[in-house]
Amino acid sequence: MSSTAQSSSAWPTSGDAPRAGSEVRLSVEQVSYAYSANPSQAPLFTLEANSFQARPGEIVAILGPNASGKSTLLKLIAGALEPLSGRVLLDGFVTHTLAPRARAQRIAMVQQETPLLFPARAWEFVLQGRHPYGRTLRFESEADVLIARNALAQVGAEHLSDRWMSEISGGERQRVILSRALCQQPLLLLLDEPTLHLDIGAQVDLLATLRRLAAENRYTVVVVTHELNLAAEYADQVVLLQKGKSLRVGSPASVYQRDLLEEVFRTPLTVEQGSNGRPRVNLLPTS
Amino acid sequence: MLTDSTLRAAAALVLLCTGAAICAAQETPPAVQTPRAYRQVTDEIGRTIRVPQNIRRIVSLAPNLTETIYALGLQDRLVGDTDYCDFPPEAQLKAKVGGAINPSLEAIAALHPDLVLVTKNLNRLETVQALANIGIPSYATDPHTVDAIIASTERLADLLGAPETGTALGKDMERRIAAIRDRVAPLPLRSVLFVVWTDPLISIGKDTFIADALQHAGAVSVIDSSQNWPHINLEEVVRLQPEFLVFAESVDTAGHTTDTLAGLPGWRILDAVKHRRFAVISDAVNRPAPRIASAIEELARQLHPEAFADTPQSDKDNASPAPRSSTQPAKSSLHLDRDISVSQECACAR
Amino acid sequence: MRPITLQRLVLQCGILALILFAVVVVALKLGAVPVSLYGLGRDLISVLLRQTSQISSDYGMIVIDIRLPRILLAIVVGASLSVAGTSFQALLRNPLADPYVLGVSMGAALGAILALIAEPHLALPVWLAALFTPLGAFLGAAATIAAVYLLGRREGQIDSATLLLAGIISSSFLSAIIMFLLTTLAGRDFRGLVFWLMGDLSSPLQPSLRWVLGIGFLIATGAIYTTAADLNLLLAGEKEAMHLGVDVRRVRLVVYISASILTGLAVSVSGAIGYVGLLVPHVMRLLFGSDHRTLLPTAAFGGAIAVVIADTLARTVVAPSELPVGAMTALVGAPLFIYLLRRRIA
Repeated sequence: MSSTAQSSSAWPTSGDAPRAGSEVRLSVEQVSYAYSANPSQAPLFTLEANSFQARPGEIVAILGPNASGKSTLLKLIAGALEPLSGRVLLDGFVTHTLAPRARAQRIAMVQQETPLLFPARAWEFVLQGRHPYGRTLRFESEADVLIARNALAQVGAEHLSDRWMSEISGGERQRVILSRALCQQPLLLLLDEPTLHLDIGAQVDLLATLRRLAAENRYTVVVVTHELNLAAEYADQVVLLQKGKSLRVGSPASVYQRDLLEEVFRTPLTVEQGSNGRPRVNLLPTS
Repeated sequence: MLTDSTLRAAAALVLLCTGAAICAAQETPPAVQTPRAYRQVTDEIGRTIRVPQNIRRIVSLAPNLTETIYALGLQDRLVGDTDYCDFPPEAQLKAKVGGAINPSLEAIAALHPDLVLVTKNLNRLETVQALANIGIPSYATDPHTVDAIIASTERLADLLGAPETGTALGKDMERRIAAIRDRVAPLPLRSVLFVVWTDPLISIGKDTFIADALQHAGAVSVIDSSQNWPHINLEEVVRLQPEFLVFAESVDTAGHTTDTLAGLPGWRILDAVKHRRFAVISDAVNRPAPRIASAIEELARQLHPEAFADTPQSDKDNASPAPRSSTQPAKSSLHLDRDISVSQECACAR
Repeated sequence: MRPITLQRLVLQCGILALILFAVVVVALKLGAVPVSLYGLGRDLISVLLRQTSQISSDYGMIVIDIRLPRILLAIVVGASLSVAGTSFQALLRNPLADPYVLGVSMGAALGAILALIAEPHLALPVWLAALFTPLGAFLGAAATIAAVYLLGRREGQIDSATLLLAGIISSSFLSAIIMFLLTTLAGRDFRGLVFWLMGDLSSPLQPSLRWVLGIGFLIATGAIYTTAADLNLLLAGEKEAMHLGVDVRRVRLVVYISASILTGLAVSVSGAIGYVGLLVPHVMRLLFGSDHRTLLPTAAFGGAIAVVIADTLARTVVAPSELPVGAMTALVGAPLFIYLLRRRIA
């Protein structure tokens, strides 16, 4: 079911004024973080005072050059790291203080994976997503199997169900990993550079799937990505980071200003408005 | 195909049998036997054991103890011994229970012994404990000197109800050893290295019965170690320059030792090797048993031939093939171009 | 899509239990002394039916008093080592891990040696003297577990790579101390220790220790089994596991302590039997899959079967002499390992 209604209506051009009538699900409030090699030394990296909000059905893209703190911000949102100050609220719960099980039932993370040590089939892999709902000594029930099958269907990967994970790669693999996240039946779906090893077609495919899922299942999706144009095309909000600071938060049109982008990414470019109201970035030759 | 009910039945059977076996194991009292009188005995390492007054069935777990039993004439009571009990040859015909270190508990139990004989030197404490667990007592011997071997033999005879035989055997051993002592006492002690093995070089410690036997033969071991089987550095031996190298027969045969040592680096600079001052004696020296007396005599003859020139070797109780008399100089002769003091009775270099 | 169900697990364990039963029956029959199992079986049944109060057949004592306790010990030791091996392979994310890789066996060996050295100098009551060596071994194992844990931490919690390094170093260090003691101590003959280092089931277990071993095994295995589903996820990646709701820190701690206790108990009573903890998990993975909810129980059965067979061979091939059971497991284990390598399970 397509629901591009949200994405094509007029955007607020500045700030993050809440839309009338929809409640805020994710609230990142003045979150900061620092880590250093050892406690007595000055911090190697700092993330400062980031704030934004997101609603069910929205896709937020976190953009920025390398080492700008994108992954760190994502981990803070996931509750995997404790912020130095500020907090992250998901439906009123502070994510960091949730117990691991409760957190896994609300937040699903898709990230760079470690290779599997022992061979596993795709359905086994996907079924792992039901772990947050299992009792200690329980085996998966028929309901769990149904949910897993459904998750695979939602990403169009049902035909991969019986294949070995080691045989699946690229876009198909990403879809299987995504369906594991869907099994968690989360409120918040976080993805860390999901398009890294994918070809262009697969990249577009993935983002389109995310948008569809966000609309159908009312997920809030936060994606860390390098891909400026993909983010512009599919995100409802963009957070632009540089060296740990969020320079701007807002709709793609409001954030993609040429001077700003050139300064952050240090390369000449132009920004033009696309036919559907979304900005498009063109890189210029540097010579 | 296996159904649930089949599985459950099988599981029940398994549990039932296991349970029965365990219960039975705990209920088994000792086999019903005619009542016997028992007594408490303390063995040579201080353990107190409970043995029948009349010990009828013995298993020996050490070759020297098997020999001793035969020497005492009590071999009819020996119902089993180890694979290595080879002296006297009849001992080979007894039922075997395995090695000294790793005997089969079952094989010993199947023989229903009243007593098992062990030595601290050769056998493992675990074996003794395992036997105690199934109600079989073990008697341990641990002689460190020749006198202790004699005393041990007499105690064993006493334990087995034949004290007179024991005393007689003991006296005989004492007499022979005293005779040897008289002959070699006036002569200077020969410094020797007793070689248990050449590679690695292993000798004997000062607390072993072999070291004591050496003394009775008019020799002294150059190695002064409190370990029983010390590993020795060849350099140390070169520094100590023993007058003689002493080997047990099996060691010599195994490595053609006396023939090849002259060609080996390190060994060949030893005076004893250069002048072929070897003494090869029977394997009896390795066992603390009555034959130790023959071994001592053999050694004394080779180290101090001048003291024995007038007496032929007495071979009362050995089965070794080659008689060790002074008509066989090849292996044991002294090449007297060194300043070894020799008494006038020397009739060597024949 | 055929996920594991309880019925399938029970079926698999049932088959393995039957195989174990058959192996035990054969093991009871074989040995240095020939035994009629038919007569023994009749006696067992009559005891069960309370018709007689004791085993009357002449060789019953050999089977019940000597072989059966030994077989039961082999079962518990084999199961302990396999479960520990499976757990360490998951904990350390390393298919080459075995129960001894973290130094527990060397620690136990050192503890046993120190107990052997100290015993003559202490006036111990009889009941304690018999337990002294296994007790020393277990204390040595426990000390090693604690030391390696402290060394293997990073930022306060267990880190797989650091733990593995700490374990290997500790193992080497303890081994060097053991070599030193064995060669320099005056007047001691540690002949029995060679058997122990190879793994030896011929020393029967003191009755009081039987309960300790059995209960310890059940508790430790149970604790590990509660983390079985978590271990599956841990193997897919630590970060992923955390995001899927696994309390990684707690799971690591529980598995480390429980698997080390299993190893310590097994080694204290039977020495370091090799290859079982390494290979049985791989074979069971080939047969039943890598899901730890089935792998742990099937590995336990598999280990029990393997050690009973190895021990039976050890006491029959050169009867009446006995080989240490570790020699048998090595003889079979090494070629099997090569075969598995070629199948690239690692």
